Amino acid sequence: MSEVSPAPVLSREGIQLGLATVDRDTAVDQAGAALVALGAVEEGYPATMHEREAMVSSFVGAGVAIPHGTDAGRAMVRRAALAVLQYPEGIDWDGQTVHLAIAIAAAEDEHMAVMSRLAQVLLEPDAVQRLRTTSDPDDVLALLAPS
Amino acid sequence: MPTIEGTAVRHVVVACEAGMGSSVLLTNQLASRLKGYGVEVTHSPVNRLTDDTGDVVLCHVGLVDRARQAAPNTVVMGFNMFMGDPAFDTLEAAIRDGASLDV
Repeated sequence: MSEVSPAPVLSREGIQLGLATVDRDTAVDQAGAALVALGAVEEGYPATMHEREAMVSSFVGAGVAIPHGTDAGRAMVRRAALAVLQYPEGIDWDGQTVHLAIAIAAAEDEHMAVMSRLAQVLLEPDAVQRLRTTSDPDDVLALLAPS
Repeated sequence: MPTIEGTAVRHVVVACEAGMGSSVLLTNQLASRLKGYGVEVTHSPVNRLTDDTGDVVLCHVGLVDRARQAAPNTVVMGFNMFMGDPAFDTLEAAIRDGASLDV
């Protein structure tokens, strides 16, 4: 048994605030690169994020999209991780405006606690507004991964 | 077309392509909404669905055909929006009032 605790699903390293406006494909590239940089996925994973986006948009409402890979892409997940990318000016995501792209890597259900928080936060307009506008990563951690 | 009575719905499955993103979010939101009726909500990748996975399957309209192929005898409801789609109200009303679902 290892005594080292596993890396948290959402960490400060996974939070990028105040990004410049880009198009959707570039945002998915950035989301994939963030997961690669975290060491959460292999380099082939981001391509499956584009595949998934082409099937069904990952826009979920409230100015949030949750780009992630396909079922086949799971094999390239090393550990569960989320990356939060904030676009304060909003970007065009298949005709919807997205201020937050939350990239997901998960092989099983290890990310359930953060996803369950996110599901709640999306129903709270004030919390969503803070995620969209804050320049402090601690705000994001406090909202999505309270310790 | 498969049909089910709302009172017979005990297990709702939210399906999406990978079963790691959107379906997880929706599962969380629906589970709290349907908990009061004793209905369990779980999620699954669409390719792993079978007729035994659940009583009703919910998935994005873009995946409905694949879900029906995977679970041909199960009621499959499509939705367009992950938040606030009328399909969720239809489902909840059918469970509450015991109406038939045949979509």
